[in-house]
Amino acid sequence: MSTPYFKNKCVTQLNCTYCDSVLCTRGMKAVLLADTEVELFSTDIPPNRTVDFVSVCYSTKTCKCKLRDVACLKCGNVVGYHVVAPCTPCLHSCNNGHFWMFNSISVVPINRLDASGEDFPDAGGIPAALPFCQPWLVC
Amino acid sequence: MRINKMAAVPENRALSYGVFKWSSYSSTYLPENILVDKPNDQSSRWSSESNYPPQYLILKLERPAIVQSITFGKYEKTHVCNLKKFKVFGGMSEENMTELLSSGLKNDYNKETFTLKHKIEEQMFPCRFIKIVPLMSWGPSFNFSIWYIELHGIEEPGVVQPCLNWYSKYREQEAIRLCLKHFRQHNYTEAFESLQKKTRVALEHALLTELHDRLVLRGDFQACEELIDRAVRDGLFNQYISQQEYKPRWSQIIPKSSKGDGDDNRPGMRGGHQMVIDVQTETVYLFGGWDGTQDLADFWAYSVCENQWTCISRDTEKESGPSARSCHKMCMDSQRRQIYTLGRYLDSSVRNSQSLRSDFYRYDIDGNTWTLLSEDTAADGGPKLVFDHQVRGQGTLSPAGSPLSLTSKAVAWALKNRISPICATVFLFLMVFCVLMMDQPPSLMNEHIPAVSRPPQMCMDSEKHMIYAFGGRILTCNGAADDSRGSEPQFSGLYAYDCAAATWRLLREDSCNAGPEDVQSRIGHCMLFHSRNRCLYVFGGQRSKTYLNDFFSYDVDGDHVEIISDGTKKDSGMVPMTGFTQRATIDPELSEIHVLSGLSKDKDKREENVRNSFWIYDIARNSWSCVYKNDQAVKENPAKSLQEEEPCPRFAHQLVYDELHKVHYLFGGNPGKSCSPKMRLDDFWSLKLCRPSKEYLLRHCRYLIRKYRFEEKAQTEPLSALKYLQNDLSLTVDHSDPDETKEFQLLPSALFKSSSDFIPLGFSDVDQTYAQRTQLFDTLVNFFPDSMTPPKGNLVDLITL
Repeated sequence: MSTPYFKNKCVTQLNCTYCDSVLCTRGMKAVLLADTEVELFSTDIPPNRTVDFVSVCYSTKTCKCKLRDVACLKCGNVVGYHVVAPCTPCLHSCNNGHFWMFNSISVVPINRLDASGEDFPDAGGIPAALPFCQPWLVC
Repeated sequence: MRINKMAAVPENRALSYGVFKWSSYSSTYLPENILVDKPNDQSSRWSSESNYPPQYLILKLERPAIVQSITFGKYEKTHVCNLKKFKVFGGMSEENMTELLSSGLKNDYNKETFTLKHKIEEQMFPCRFIKIVPLMSWGPSFNFSIWYIELHGIEEPGVVQPCLNWYSKYREQEAIRLCLKHFRQHNYTEAFESLQKKTRVALEHALLTELHDRLVLRGDFQACEELIDRAVRDGLFNQYISQQEYKPRWSQIIPKSSKGDGDDNRPGMRGGHQMVIDVQTETVYLFGGWDGTQDLADFWAYSVCENQWTCISRDTEKESGPSARSCHKMCMDSQRRQIYTLGRYLDSSVRNSQSLRSDFYRYDIDGNTWTLLSEDTAADGGPKLVFDHQVRGQGTLSPAGSPLSLTSKAVAWALKNRISPICATVFLFLMVFCVLMMDQPPSLMNEHIPAVSRPPQMCMDSEKHMIYAFGGRILTCNGAADDSRGSEPQFSGLYAYDCAAATWRLLREDSCNAGPEDVQSRIGHCMLFHSRNRCLYVFGGQRSKTYLNDFFSYDVDGDHVEIISDGTKKDSGMVPMTGFTQRATIDPELSEIHVLSGLSKDKDKREENVRNSFWIYDIARNSWSCVYKNDQAVKENPAKSLQEEEPCPRFAHQLVYDELHKVHYLFGGNPGKSCSPKMRLDDFWSLKLCRPSKEYLLRHCRYLIRKYRFEEKAQTEPLSALKYLQNDLSLTVDHSDPDETKEFQLLPSALFKSSSDFIPLGFSDVDQTYAQRTQLFDTLVNFFPDSMTPPKGNLVDLITL
């Protein structure tokens, strides 16, 4: 297992690149376990009334996690995916426990202020660990 | 010299338009984007703000035009905002639009074009405004998006102007007719006559004016009855009858038993048999089948006139005919009075003992003789039952060689090359043997592979003396010994057999590509030949585990495939469900396909409340209608008359149709009872699809007239009315029908009403009798064709609060 790649512990707001609507207010930058070149954003809470599922569950070649694409409700473009059911190996490996992923080309991170009114809130010391899953095809 | 282009067909071209109004739009997805076609730009579209109705786009054409089609562009990938359902309206003004199209788009990346309604009774009408109303997108919670719109039609003023003139004249004329109707209903005689004289517009056909005169003005009910009687006999009610729904009437056939014989005078229980019908002599032929334990080889004929089965042969094999078999396919050449039968069901367990060939027989009815046309259609270039890699090598669709044909080919080759035929044959067999040993094919010996084969469906073209065979599953054996999934099923393509020349020709190979001229092969499908328009119609079926839902036709003369429906649009409830055994018949005269949908072979699909359903497909109108669907509840009611009984749901049965007498016949099948899997049926049913007859309608009209007459009389002369009720009115009631009897019994209450307390809405200023007679007139008028009747609407209904 490779060393987790610590890039940025910031929590950012995520906007849709296509229509600029707010998708999520608690996004965290992360990289894929299988391919550390692939950056994406993940979040723990299900985005509320901003995205919805499209298509059916699928799995990639590399592992048995069940995934389902999500699209921005405003413009209908696919912005990421949700891990419906993680497979056991992924569940046991080092991960940040986030089930909702956004493709980095589909979202624009916007820095938000923390409680004190200063920039760049921290994720609270939790390592920006690696989200689930194997490369999905960014379309 | 200028060529007069008006003489030619008016040119259909792209119409220029602008976006006139919209319900909403979200962020950068402006309505104007639909003018531009950029499939790879996700922002080149109109997107509504939400998916709450009403959402719409109104387009305004630069010039009034006859809009004949609309094309929707798409994005380069599937997109959840594509319109799954939408409607298109059109008209000369924004407020006054009619529906031109109701359809949906596929969620893919191809442009789709739809024809718009642009004619009223063969007369083209122009539009200036087109309104597109999205109703549903492919993702239920997502907004509606339209990427690109193109409108095509005719905008040449030389064509459009006359249509515009006709359209305004048409509207004015309809307005005048509505006024005339209103004046007459309210007895404004002078106004009515004055308007009619001035405009010379006819409110209705002269016959109906006469009816109005006799009924409403003079109250001469006897004369009314005579008029209706004459109208029915002249066939004026035929259009009304043809629009009524069919009611199915099943009746079980109990054939006459011939003297002496015990049970052997009729076919025993079976499934997987085949039936054909000779409509000229009204004879049903039945051959073979599976009775639960073994294949059958008996051959029967049923004469409808004599209501009797005759056994032509107890065992056709003994008379040089086919061996015992089931799931074979038969077709009838009624011109030459010959029956053809092809193939049989094979599974791997019989392969060692029997030959694996797809044999083809012909039976001559008059001569009562069987002829073997081909021992192995595959060897003759026709469809195969078995594809044997071992004998022929890897997978091209070349005919598999049966040992017999290979030997004959080897001998022919040897003779040609001056080699001793015996040497050649021995050498050939040695080679085959080596190949067999080397590859260690488990398939020929291994009985664990559950592969089965089924012969293709056959249809007879009596006119050109050709047989078309399509589909069927080929038993394949590949060399893989440890492939637990067994062999990959292969399916047979579309073949034509020239009966005179006794040759096969491959018309289409099995293709999964679904290109415009490709066909996807299958088993268990319905295939019918329309002798008038000379097309094969194929729908449904199964391909391995997938149930197919498509419907296509094949023009045999033009060698052209036409996809009627590719089955991707889910019209649940509007077309027969897939996965349930379908038996279909065709009526070339009415251009209808009849489908009986029954039990599913798949145990998981058998829901408790799914029973028989009967569908009719109107070929001209390209529409399905369900004639009936029954529930389990009906079956459990013991107090049903015999007439309402119908056959239990089943599969592996046979259904044939006599198109001359319009009767279906059904025999046997497998009821699919899990407690007794070997049980098969031997019941024989006939099915008639009934519409109300002329006599019924005549009686019904008489009843209506006399009922009204009774009610009118009841106001003034109750005693005389009662007598009338008991005699004249009673004559028009069918006392064996419970509904009619009940209604009849309630009628005397009119004798005790002091005055009628029901004033029809909108007739407050008119004499009551006049108003009620007018109502009866309106009811009777509905039976006449629309071209003869006054307008259906009323002037007062145009007034809104």
